[in-house]
Amino acid sequence: MLFEINKLSKHFSGLVAVDQLSMFVNEGEIMGLIGPNGAGKSTVFNLITGVLQPTEGTVKYNGKDITGKGPHIIAELGIGRTFQMNPLFPDFTVLENVVASFQCRPKSSLFDIFFNTTTYRHNEASILKQSIEILQLVGLYKVKDELAKNQPHGYQKMLGMARALAVKPKLLLLDEPLSGMNPEEIEFAMTAIRKTRDQGVTIILVEHNMRVLELCDRVVVISFGKKIAEGLPQEVRDNEEVIRAYFGGHGSA
Amino acid sequence: MVVKNYKKNYEKDINMIEESTLSNRKSNKGKIAQLLPYLVLIIVIALIPLFTHSSYYLHILILTLIYIIVSVSFRFIAISGQFPLAHIVFMGIGGYTSGVLAIQLKWSPWLTMPLGALLAMAIGILIGFPFARLRALYYALVSFFFGVGMIQVITAFGRYTGGIGGLVGIPGIPGLISTNKVPYYYFILGVTIVCLLILYRFEHSRIGTNLKAIDQSHLVASSIGINEARYRVLALAIGCFFAGLAGAIYAHYNYVISPASFQMSQTLWIVMYVLIGGLGSFAGPIVGTIVLFLVPEFYSSLRTVVPFISAALMLAVVFLIPDGIVSLPGLLKLRLEAIRKRKREL
Repeated sequence: MLFEINKLSKHFSGLVAVDQLSMFVNEGEIMGLIGPNGAGKSTVFNLITGVLQPTEGTVKYNGKDITGKGPHIIAELGIGRTFQMNPLFPDFTVLENVVASFQCRPKSSLFDIFFNTTTYRHNEASILKQSIEILQLVGLYKVKDELAKNQPHGYQKMLGMARALAVKPKLLLLDEPLSGMNPEEIEFAMTAIRKTRDQGVTIILVEHNMRVLELCDRVVVISFGKKIAEGLPQEVRDNEEVIRAYFGGHGSA
Repeated sequence: MVVKNYKKNYEKDINMIEESTLSNRKSNKGKIAQLLPYLVLIIVIALIPLFTHSSYYLHILILTLIYIIVSVSFRFIAISGQFPLAHIVFMGIGGYTSGVLAIQLKWSPWLTMPLGALLAMAIGILIGFPFARLRALYYALVSFFFGVGMIQVITAFGRYTGGIGGLVGIPGIPGLISTNKVPYYYFILGVTIVCLLILYRFEHSRIGTNLKAIDQSHLVASSIGINEARYRVLALAIGCFFAGLAGAIYAHYNYVISPASFQMSQTLWIVMYVLIGGLGSFAGPIVGTIVLFLVPEFYSSLRTVVPFISAALMLAVVFLIPDGIVSLPGLLKLRLEAIRKRKREL
């Protein structure tokens, strides 16, 4: 088991955003975390990556307890993430966005940067090369010298993923990777996600779009911060409680 | 066809990167050609004392150089999204430390000046950690009142610092004292160039990239492994070091410093130099300092209206040239091209 969260809860002064949520991910899986708007999916990501501190519960990664560690430490451990909104550095070019995202592997010490040592120059050159390769993978090489903020929404999303890949993650958290994309972009993004998994990256993705189910090996459904279903995509799709959570009513839909 | 082209470019890029890592020598020729205008500029500035013996003009130029160090170091902090409204106070910390040590312990200014810069840096690091949690208006306010408090502290230790009346009798820098200001001028010009080179290199290395990344989105920055607090403190430390150094040099140049030289309103002037010159470019604060400090000093009749001119300039910058005066040539060029294009179409 690569990753596990145990009875994770988050209260925002009285409001329970995440309630006793437990789940796990095996190495090499694509796991879906789905649920209607406001179910607490992004909050779960923020709890895992240390942007928010959990009220209770634990997060384990590679057998180690990483609950409440700061975001940059989480990244250094090999957990990459994308964001639903503003997934990039708007005033950098597309290439600069990816180059800037190589922080941990290879890592230059402050000493190396201050004195412009050969190590530092070597690292930077290898970073530049890998960045171009990543841009080629996500299909953004053609716009590499344009400002990130001038890119269409779909490109920005893919750039967010390119950025997360630069962390060289073992575990990748994708926050609504397909939202706001047109059908062609969705196909492209789904292929890219599968390719990434095939390179040995474990993926958790958050979506409220049920389309994403075809990507996943396993799915956890949450609603109002509580887990309401877990299982194979097909099982979850037919689960009455899930249908009720999505469409309201009494499950007769 | 198009796809093929991309692929070709892609392979070309990869090859180029590999080549440039193997031999750094190839690109050196192009670099020298690029640096040429700056070299000429520096030589011209260095020749000024040959044409004027007016110590007043040299005095203004020296002050301009000192303020250039301060405003460029302020901008270095600002690229990380921090606007410390106490920057001038770090200049004061450097100046007072160096001055007091030189007077009380009779140490050589060559030793006390770096110590002043280091103490400014140490205090910058100390306040950096709590400041790293603050943003925008809260940051500005807290740093402002830190500055006000610091001035009070300096005044309160009147036995050493001379209190409100100021610290007098600061020794000059051995080896530079002469009947005119020329040795000081060359020394400070040299220090300024070195400081600017160092700050330029920092900004165009990964440190600068990370600071700018933090400014654009601290959430994204920390998600890729940038330690936000560490880099913000680092920016403050480097910026405060150079402000402290400038202050120390100022103290031993001027022989007198007083709390009035480091009033909080002075900080706002530094911010003005940076914003009007152009926050987005390294040359911005240099141009800003020259336009708002050097020019009015030369035409002393202008001095009383400078606040009004500055306010007007600020408005002009906000509405017409948001990237500051340095972006003006580029903007004009674009305009001219547009006009020419329209003419051709007619």
